[in-house]
Amino acid sequence: MKIWEEFLSEAKDYLSSNTEYEIKMMHSKSALTRFANSHIHQNVDEESAEVYLTLHRNMKTTTISSNITAIKEVKSFIEKAEKSLENSPVDKGWAGLANKDNSYNNLTKIEESSPDERALKVKEFISSGSELNSAGYCSTSVDNFFVWNSNGLSSSDSSSSAFIDGIFRTENSAGSSHRGAKSLNELDSKKAGNEASKLAREGQNPEDINPGKYEVILGNEAVSTILVFLAVYGFNAKSKVDGMSPIVLNEQQFDEKITLLDTPEDFDSIGFKIDASGSKKNNLEIIKNGVSSNYFHTRRTSKELNAQNTFHELFGWGESFGGIGTNLKLKAGSKSLEEMISEVKNGIYINEFWYCRVLDPITQVVTGLNRNGSFLIENGKIIKPIGRLRFTQSFISSLSKGNVLGVGNNSRYADSEFGEGILNVPALHLKEFNFTGGVAG
Amino acid sequence: MSMFEYLDIAIDSAIKNGSKYSDARILFSKTRNISAKNGEVENFNESEKIGIGVRALVGSSWGFYSTYDLSNSSLQAAGKKAFDIAKASSLVAGKEMPFADVPVVEDTYTTPHEINPFNISSDEQINLLLSSTEHMKKQGSSRAFGRLDFWDTQKWFASSQGHKIFQNIIETGGGLSSLSIGDGETQIRSYPQSFGEYRTGGWEVVKSFEFEKHLDRLSEESQRLLVAPQCPEGTMDLILEGSQLALQIHESVGHAIELDRILGWEAAYAGTSHLDLKKLNSHKYGSKLMNIVADATLPGALATFKYDDEGTPAQRVDIVKEGIWTGVLSGRDSAAVAGVKPGGMVRADGFGRLPMVRMTNVGLLPGDSSLQEIIESTDNGIYMETNRSWSIDDLRLNFQFGCEVGWLVKNGKVIDMVKNPTYTGITPKFWANLDMLAGEEEWVFWGTPNCGKGQPSQIGHTGHPASPARFKDTRVGVRG
Repeated sequence: MKIWEEFLSEAKDYLSSNTEYEIKMMHSKSALTRFANSHIHQNVDEESAEVYLTLHRNMKTTTISSNITAIKEVKSFIEKAEKSLENSPVDKGWAGLANKDNSYNNLTKIEESSPDERALKVKEFISSGSELNSAGYCSTSVDNFFVWNSNGLSSSDSSSSAFIDGIFRTENSAGSSHRGAKSLNELDSKKAGNEASKLAREGQNPEDINPGKYEVILGNEAVSTILVFLAVYGFNAKSKVDGMSPIVLNEQQFDEKITLLDTPEDFDSIGFKIDASGSKKNNLEIIKNGVSSNYFHTRRTSKELNAQNTFHELFGWGESFGGIGTNLKLKAGSKSLEEMISEVKNGIYINEFWYCRVLDPITQVVTGLNRNGSFLIENGKIIKPIGRLRFTQSFISSLSKGNVLGVGNNSRYADSEFGEGILNVPALHLKEFNFTGGVAG
Repeated sequence: MSMFEYLDIAIDSAIKNGSKYSDARILFSKTRNISAKNGEVENFNESEKIGIGVRALVGSSWGFYSTYDLSNSSLQAAGKKAFDIAKASSLVAGKEMPFADVPVVEDTYTTPHEINPFNISSDEQINLLLSSTEHMKKQGSSRAFGRLDFWDTQKWFASSQGHKIFQNIIETGGGLSSLSIGDGETQIRSYPQSFGEYRTGGWEVVKSFEFEKHLDRLSEESQRLLVAPQCPEGTMDLILEGSQLALQIHESVGHAIELDRILGWEAAYAGTSHLDLKKLNSHKYGSKLMNIVADATLPGALATFKYDDEGTPAQRVDIVKEGIWTGVLSGRDSAAVAGVKPGGMVRADGFGRLPMVRMTNVGLLPGDSSLQEIIESTDNGIYMETNRSWSIDDLRLNFQFGCEVGWLVKNGKVIDMVKNPTYTGITPKFWANLDMLAGEEEWVFWGTPNCGKGQPSQIGHTGHPASPARFKDTRVGVRG
């Protein structure tokens, strides 16, 4: 890409041989068509190009960043970084530049979608429940990422994504659904609309039930929330470094039915196949049959914990966030959603969790609520829609040995509290989940 | 060419192509973020960005296009793209979007400040964090964290109606935390509040925190919490320290009064509101002591400016008066739909985002009591300090908060520290139980620098002035 080649070529003229350099550029075109009250009300499109420059010399490190417009001269940008380096303290955690052997190049020209194409996907979604009030978005993005370092690494990759996410509402109910793919053409917005509108129609006139411990069937989005919390706060090696991870490797912390993988190499995986250091990512086992196998490492955490780097550095976060898997797949089971529901004697179906927050990182006790489709199940049948409940529940315990009764066969990309396109999961059947409050507080 | 001439190229292009209205912003944003752990720097980043965002109103929808490219051809294309994007919305159109008028002004504004934080050597700022975190680590903290963040944003705004406004907003803040790790648990104490305290102003804001006076206390309290008893379960009087009350206001009032949420524009993501516009000026939100204002003119508070990102002047709006709901947070479009006066509460997270309704300084006016008096008049209660977790439903009704530390109060005296304090409630019931409120001496302009809203996601900076208060008969000690 010309913008990168020109920048890098000029930058190389000003680099000195006694310094380690890492230069990155993210070029993105992203668009989002948003609808509410069953019509499009906001429609946005953005082009951005951001440059990150890291210098390391004499035990000191600095990183400065800018978008391409703010860099009036490449020379002065590098001089600014040099000045910043002088003011930096000793960096004992520096773990070096990525190795040149980790280079990976897969720059591809990907066509952007038009606002008309996104509007048509929105129209399909809305038409699934034209008598209802709908809201949501359809988004697309095309991203190109470049990394070069003075160790000889040169990597580039392209990525695209498309999502549709929305709800239907009545006076007293709502239903939601979500789809994600690498391109807009692959999105089945009609099916997502059908699922969401069905939940809204069947959820009308909910009845409140008493809080307590219930058997639950969790829909894709609810499962995705549990797993993304475990990924960010548990399997992130920085949490381990900071003493806040509940994950103990090689221990049976989860039920045998739980196998979680990070799959950047899979064809259908959304996102880059390199991490923020420019290193090629590989498929990785996180939990195998209930036993935790790996943390997500960056260069620094692997050095600090004396472990192998898994190449999970995130672009734009520096070292403040640690490493996260962004292509997580929970291994699917064999049961359909209907079969799992038929096996519940007395329990609840929950489509989606909402506003979940960690009370205690070590036990992963989390509080949050249900929304957009919750139903009471008795003797294998959905009996009635129910109102809001607040749960206070350890997410580790929720997937512990014996508490996972079934894993669904209905995997798909599901939204999560930390973003979309990260998790591909099925529904789950859990023996017990702790609800601590209802509508009355 | 001046920045306003750049803006005019994009706006003219949007209007010539058929937009009913257009405005644009060029931003030059500088940020500096420093974080440290145990006497070492964990992250140090300086960033600069320049770009333009163009907004066009066509029929029932906004079109918005942003780019880093400020060349003449790119600016013309940006205006046209904003129009084209808005026009594409007509495939799924609604009623034509009304748009309220505001005074057309040409003006400039700079945040009052003593020392621009970017004029202070990063060395000095880094050393403050290194010495603070190293000290806490030496005092026995398992992990000692510190962070400082600075923003210097120059913003040029113009509209097809003739606005020409330049603002330079300077924001400063940071904080410290001591983490203690015990047997299967962690405890944390933070100052000035969890995730740091932020205000408009310069380096003097950080100096006023006087970090050095709080290091030993943070370290000692986080270690003491490990051996403290659990927060009791039950119903009792709850006394909230100011920063926790600030977050309570943010979640259970600030979001609920956003007009875009009330109108359903945010229904899919952020949610809606339990408030119904038909009950404006009659709905009972809380007790007589509850007086909430949204005031973007408070000198030094985090959400203080002179004009919002639609050119509407900053203002003070009554939100709740003696317990009755009286006002909303609005923009020029939402105000026109709802038939209220535009409140000047629309801001965007950078040049690349569409402006939307954001909280300004939504605060609880002070009462006439004091924390000391509140404690002395409490027979059976708990005093909770500093937020640790927060969760509320999408109508902003059912909430649960966790705090870093609780102090049991019996017969007017603090008798014991307790750990893992939590409380839960329902918004109007909770606020109806507000029965004591500390005065102006303890009223602090708490700032929240991390309010998420919108799609694509935007981070907003909001302010919440508050002083300590008591809420009768609150459920506490919820555990999993």
